[in-house]
Amino acid sequence: MTDCRKYKDLIEKVMDGDISDAEFSELKAHTTTCSSCREELDGFNYMRSVVTEAFSSSKDAEEAGEQVLHHLSLHSLPQSRVPGWRWKSIAAGILLAVGLALGFALGWASSAGPGDVTLAAQVPVKVMDLTGTVLVRHAGFDTWQFLRADSTIHLGDTFHSTGGSGFVLGLDKESTIEVNQNSMLILKSYDEQRQFFLAHGECTADLESPHGPFFIETPHGRVEALGTEFTVTVD
Amino acid sequence: MPDDITRNRGADEHLIHASLAGNPSAFSTLVERHWNLVFALALSRISNATEAEDIAQESFLKAYTQLSTLRKPSCFAGWLTRITLRECTNTVRRSTRRKAVCGGPMEPQEVLNAVPACAANPGLTSGQADFVRQTVRRLPKNLRELVLLRFMGGFSAVKIAEQLGKRPGTVRVSLHRAYKLLRKDLNPLLEEIGS
Repeated sequence: MTDCRKYKDLIEKVMDGDISDAEFSELKAHTTTCSSCREELDGFNYMRSVVTEAFSSSKDAEEAGEQVLHHLSLHSLPQSRVPGWRWKSIAAGILLAVGLALGFALGWASSAGPGDVTLAAQVPVKVMDLTGTVLVRHAGFDTWQFLRADSTIHLGDTFHSTGGSGFVLGLDKESTIEVNQNSMLILKSYDEQRQFFLAHGECTADLESPHGPFFIETPHGRVEALGTEFTVTVD
Repeated sequence: MPDDITRNRGADEHLIHASLAGNPSAFSTLVERHWNLVFALALSRISNATEAEDIAQESFLKAYTQLSTLRKPSCFAGWLTRITLRECTNTVRRSTRRKAVCGGPMEPQEVLNAVPACAANPGLTSGQADFVRQTVRRLPKNLRELVLLRFMGGFSAVKIAEQLGKRPGTVRVSLHRAYKLLRKDLNPLLEEIGS
């Protein structure tokens, strides 16, 4: 009779999820000849498969991710907090209070309340093409909205394309900027010069000729359009 | 294959940092990676699969809003497990209170379990899947969570220990205890399917 002690240990490793590929191959080879070890291993695998089946969701994980993303787009996104943020917030609050007090004392206080956030100027940019889920946030606002084909675009807008999505903005008659998936693009200025900031991801500008000053800033530097078509990627 | 589920857990940390930097799609990827585990944890406490899905979704939303408070991003799954179980407890408590206020009789466990679960179980009949769920629910709480982290989360005993801040040896012993109990209770079903 085969001494199965070694293989019983390997079966325990399978149960613990700590077995290596080589050990597993060795165990599998052994179970072709040892019915006792085969039954034990199969019994465990069978138990695992019925539990996995019984507790599986009918909802696809990808669909669940999209649904959570949808909920998040309707609410404020979390602010990244760095160590000491609480003290910085308090300090900022004190500074704000002092500033407001000084403002009132000097007669500078505006009649507008602090909660009055207005949209920045609308710009003649149109959504030309849109695939998947793309979010947009207006400057000064905390909430993200879905970008739609008929969305109006404003200065300072931040666009966020999720995985598998993309969109094209029409800048004028013949110029477009195409944004790939998993990208974040901010429209910084749109007057004598058009300027975007690509925080991450990839975009391709296709400009009419001749075109005015056109820049795409990135965390690593600024790209100026000299030709009519170029792609910028930020990892 | 040593394990059915193999994942690069280190990627969780990267996705957490990206989420905190304002990239919501990074968080949706985290949801995809942990959805099965979170749903299973909820279903191990709540009999109704639709309600379990709601709890799972709510748990992810809570996790998102509290993400900046997570001290060890490498232990995201353990942290998420605690959030989910707390969410389950709150749901059960709210449900119990609502029934008490309405004056209606408490719904017996059998009635709750009779609600058809819409979990996907291609190989098992609805009755068999229900039997498996009830068997897992009968396990002591701490063993139940370990089994689901192992089977649904794909974590090894060592990784579970890391996630929950326990000793690997303790997790191993508990897992083997859970397997023993499960095998004993599931035996009629395993024989029925096997025959």
